[in-house]
Amino acid sequence: MKKEAALQREPANSFRKKHPFLNEMRRNWPYYLMMAPAALVLFIFSYLPLPGLVIAFMDFNYVDKFSSPWVGLANFKFYFTSSYAFQTTFNTLFININYLVWTTLFSVLFSILLNELRSKFAKKIYQNAMFLPYFFSSVIIGKLITTILFSDSYGLVNQIITALGGEAILWSQTPNPWAWIIIGTHLWQVAGYNSIVYLASITGIDDQLYEAASLDGATRWQQLWRITLPLLLPTIITMSLLSIGNMLRGDFATIYSIIGDNGLLYKYTDVIDTYVFRAIKSAADFGPTAAVGLYQSVVGFILVWGSNSLVKLYDKDYALF
Amino acid sequence: MYQKSIGERIAQILIHIFLFAYSFCCIYPFILTFMASISSEQSIMKNGYRLIPSEFSSLAYETVFKDSSIYTGYAVSIFVTVVGTLLALIICGMVGYAMSLQRVKYRNHIAMYFYIPMVFSAGLLPWYLVCTQFLHLQDTIWALILPTLVSPFNVFLMRNYFKTIPSSLVESAEIDGSGPFRTYFQIVIPLATPIIATVALFIGLGYWNDWTNALWFISDRKLFPLQYMLYRIKSIMDFIRQNGSMGNIQLPSQTFQLATLFVTIGPIVLLYPFVQKFFVKGIMVGAVKG
Repeated sequence: MKKEAALQREPANSFRKKHPFLNEMRRNWPYYLMMAPAALVLFIFSYLPLPGLVIAFMDFNYVDKFSSPWVGLANFKFYFTSSYAFQTTFNTLFININYLVWTTLFSVLFSILLNELRSKFAKKIYQNAMFLPYFFSSVIIGKLITTILFSDSYGLVNQIITALGGEAILWSQTPNPWAWIIIGTHLWQVAGYNSIVYLASITGIDDQLYEAASLDGATRWQQLWRITLPLLLPTIITMSLLSIGNMLRGDFATIYSIIGDNGLLYKYTDVIDTYVFRAIKSAADFGPTAAVGLYQSVVGFILVWGSNSLVKLYDKDYALF
Repeated sequence: MYQKSIGERIAQILIHIFLFAYSFCCIYPFILTFMASISSEQSIMKNGYRLIPSEFSSLAYETVFKDSSIYTGYAVSIFVTVVGTLLALIICGMVGYAMSLQRVKYRNHIAMYFYIPMVFSAGLLPWYLVCTQFLHLQDTIWALILPTLVSPFNVFLMRNYFKTIPSSLVESAEIDGSGPFRTYFQIVIPLATPIIATVALFIGLGYWNDWTNALWFISDRKLFPLQYMLYRIKSIMDFIRQNGSMGNIQLPSQTFQLATLFVTIGPIVLLYPFVQKFFVKGIMVGAVKG
């Protein structure tokens, strides 16, 4: 009897071993069906463009499309020898590094202050107020900045400057302050949101640690530096790693809604993404534009991979992958 | 529990002052905008933006509501937000669920497939060419929905939550003869409402606030969502002027912009008190499970 059963089972067993893929499909096809729609959409919008990277090595035109002539590295040469390359790369890095540093500093500061507050009611009020700008689109924020705050004639900042006896500034023609205005705007928009993320990690810290510390005579200040901040570090690292990969991409929506097509301000605010956008929309040379895109992607990937490896050297648990 | 020393009290007061000042900075621009939008054009020209305008006027709002573009803008935005959010929830939720199951052998490969686009992408130009040359999305409503439909981040957020649902519940449903789809929609989704509500709010907010898709693909005025309308407000004012539909009224250009701005943020301001606690809760869930 036993032998017979074993014999009968054998074909199924060998099928499982020989065709593990088909067997898995036969067993679990409904689950793969569930994955299919999202996988397909992702394929179309994220994987299908990948072959398009070859345009970076072509003199692309709409007539020949992908049989356009190959030009080797000429497109890269065109971009990197132009004055745009340094300017846009510098602006992108400058704005993004400041984004990262200031938002992290202020969000952590806000989350600690909110956590130290004893009045639960006040905590809620402040949280709601600080969270508010996050809800509005970059267009609305951009309009607030350009019409209410920094408009040439009626803006609040110029009102304050003239009230203090200063000379009103023609913002729309003064490029210098705009990079900082953009950084400040971003900080203002996301600091409240990020502080809630950090606050969530602080709330997750075991109360016993603080109790033990205060029994041993640690002051609030010492507890902050010895318990709260070290335990916040993994969250800070994860959040930073996520943004490092986008270092060369730039916050297109915010920057474009504030600066738009005002060429007078490009000097300190034109980032790679806004440059690429204009190039695509004006249907200028596609080759150099694709070259810029490839440059962004490759450098972005190296940055994520590199910083992740560094974090891994320091502590394996903090790494993203 | 606390010793109320003088130092501690001073610290509390300082924290209050600091947080109050920052909260004020977050709210004040919106109040100022609203007050400016109900003031007359002349009073802005004379005194700049003031918290209490010297002269009130509803002309800006009348002009906004007289022109048809605000209504089409609302229709487009609402359609995109509702349809986009529902579609995204359904397809991202399903893949998140399937990926969370131990029995699905290739779940880690699929996760990798969703993870790669988060760290490497082809850049804007190839993406733009796929959308316009291959899918022909320009000047269709789908251009506002499809490109941002699947966000790997949301997929992973949901997968992580689904992982915490005890597998015994799913197994017992299957023993009782429920198929995978039925189990998902009738057992799993009701158990996962906190994360689904949060993800829905994030996706919905994203669609409502999105204007870059329109910037890339839409040139037909009838398909402008609200945010893009606001972005193109100057050209819309020119259009109204040329059309002459307003008769002889001088178009109040400053207050018109601000009134439009306030009309587009209206729904969010009204919903904010109700949804904000879901956001906070959702961030907590995401951060703890992360």
